[in-house]
Amino acid sequence: MDDTIIAILRSGTPLIYVTLAGVLAQRSGIWHLGLEGLMIIGACAAVLGVVQSGSILVGLGIGIVLCVLASALLWFVIEKLRANPIIAGLGLTGLGLGGTDLAVQAIYGSQASVNAPFGLPRLGPAFGQYGVLSILVVLMPVFVIAVWVLTRRTRWGLQLAASGEHPFAARSVGVNPARMRLIALCLGGVLCALGGAELSMGSLQIFAYGMTAGRGFMAFAAVIFGGGNPLGATGAAFFFAIVGALGIRAQLLFGERVPPDFLLALPYIATVIGVWISGKLRGGAKAAASFGELKDY
Amino acid sequence: MTSKIDMLKAKALSRRTFLKTSAGAALVAGTAGSLALPTRAKAATGLVALVHTQAAGDNGPIDSMIAALKKLSEEKGFPIRTIYAQDSATFPSIYESLADAGAEVIAGTFNEVAEPIKELAPKFPDTKFIQIFGDPFEPVMPNVVTVSYDYYLGCYLSGLFAAKISKTGKIGYIGGVSLPPLNADLNAMKAAAASVGADKSVTGAFAGSFQDPAKGHEIANQMYQDGIDYIQTDSAATDTGIIQAANEADGRMVSAISPEQYKLGPKSVAALVALDFGQSLYNEVEKAIGPDFKAGHLSTGLGTGVVDFVLSPTWVEQGPPDLVAKAKEVWPEIEKARADIIAGTLEVPFNTEL
Repeated sequence: MDDTIIAILRSGTPLIYVTLAGVLAQRSGIWHLGLEGLMIIGACAAVLGVVQSGSILVGLGIGIVLCVLASALLWFVIEKLRANPIIAGLGLTGLGLGGTDLAVQAIYGSQASVNAPFGLPRLGPAFGQYGVLSILVVLMPVFVIAVWVLTRRTRWGLQLAASGEHPFAARSVGVNPARMRLIALCLGGVLCALGGAELSMGSLQIFAYGMTAGRGFMAFAAVIFGGGNPLGATGAAFFFAIVGALGIRAQLLFGERVPPDFLLALPYIATVIGVWISGKLRGGAKAAASFGELKDY
Repeated sequence: MTSKIDMLKAKALSRRTFLKTSAGAALVAGTAGSLALPTRAKAATGLVALVHTQAAGDNGPIDSMIAALKKLSEEKGFPIRTIYAQDSATFPSIYESLADAGAEVIAGTFNEVAEPIKELAPKFPDTKFIQIFGDPFEPVMPNVVTVSYDYYLGCYLSGLFAAKISKTGKIGYIGGVSLPPLNADLNAMKAAAASVGADKSVTGAFAGSFQDPAKGHEIANQMYQDGIDYIQTDSAATDTGIIQAANEADGRMVSAISPEQYKLGPKSVAALVALDFGQSLYNEVEKAIGPDFKAGHLSTGLGTGVVDFVLSPTWVEQGPPDLVAKAKEVWPEIEKARADIIAGTLEVPFNTEL
């Protein structure tokens, strides 16, 4: 049982950090499809930073700076150049995937995967089996609660929601929706950097091209599944991690009888069903009508 | 006024006539061209091109092929071009451009380049085409050679070795995606384990991607926790996650694909089912530029220097002493099985069904 919990925590934690970034963006009125790109930038920067400097803090710091800069770029393109947020987000994902590949090629010549000499600090043998979990797994609940408090229990959170849902009303009481979106996206950039670092340095010590393998899009689905609520979205991300772990377990147990492709598709089937149920419960048609539009009136 | 209208009519007529004449001329020219010039024989430059459909920098097949081509080019003194073709829609135009430029040999990687070669090979009879890792063409084209690799034979030896060395008798296999050749690899391991004893089992799983080390790590961890102590990897960059999982506890073994992976797990990467694409390309290009070129299909198996099962020298030095001793003890049996396969006295089933 402990093994299963550890597997779920390890696979769920990167997803949850990125999901929280998606929640912040969604509250500000932006459906963030650049999560995949930010996540891989964070994963790559953490490993390259550690390899180049020998310091985990430098690796994390570089990841955070790059993800915040990329988020600010996304904001500029959406807010100032009036680009469609969905298209701009997908563009950021392309930039992240291509940019990290280019960076690795430029720095290491012909190395597709980069190995770091060490990973994120872990709990250690004192915690028994759970000692393999990284510090970011332990901090994850703190971030979930912090984002929930920030968005649901503070004046800033209300201003952010107003900026996303009723920018005109927000502006009429002196809130600048554009600035709120910038802050939300940049905070999301920090969370994506942490999620990416956990992916590449939490249980592994490696960066490989395309290693996010669609996790950013699953985080986006978790945001929709969770209705934009940090706790709901975290629950959705955990649900996807559980289904993923069960998919592996099912392959090992029933791989002889059930096609492996079907078992591998389980998390994605669960994602589609989850988003469909969420849409039914929360008025999906209404949400879909505003999907991709940046409210600015 | 009338003359002005007539002039305009004449102008219109002349434009219409011109368009009709042009269309007719184009049609005639096109028909004549296709009838009179069915082939565009080129190839006089000595250029050898490699069109690879996976990115360079993989520490594996593509890098080894580029390095081998450069080596042969330096030895024989011919110019080379290496081109990364990512989008399948661009394959025909890349091949055609190279053939038009007079390439003597065009080598392409993997199954996806079969159709462009089939389409262009008849048009450029003086250019030789090599498809690395492809199925046989029916009928054989006189200027095309396709090469396949019996990797499953190496996996059979890996399964045999694992079944003899494993303490638990539980063996794992992790592939990237469930494809027919990878399914055959898994089935070969199962056949080998079954030949050792009914109590030996092989559990297979697929990561769903060749680029997801995190998923590889997760699957490998679950396997090791289930008592599996030897995993054969077959999943490119996903392998690194599997090797890291093996490094997390003593006594865990992995069999990988490339000598580059020895350093990732000096105490865990016990062996390799090696596939040297570079050597294979070197052999085929050398034949193509010389008098030994023979069109058709080449099935490359054990004993060719391309596919083999080898023990890691690093692991022999640094691995757990009891496992290393056991490996050395059973190795003659592996050598005998290899010799039997090469001699044809031991037949390994090629079964792509799961």
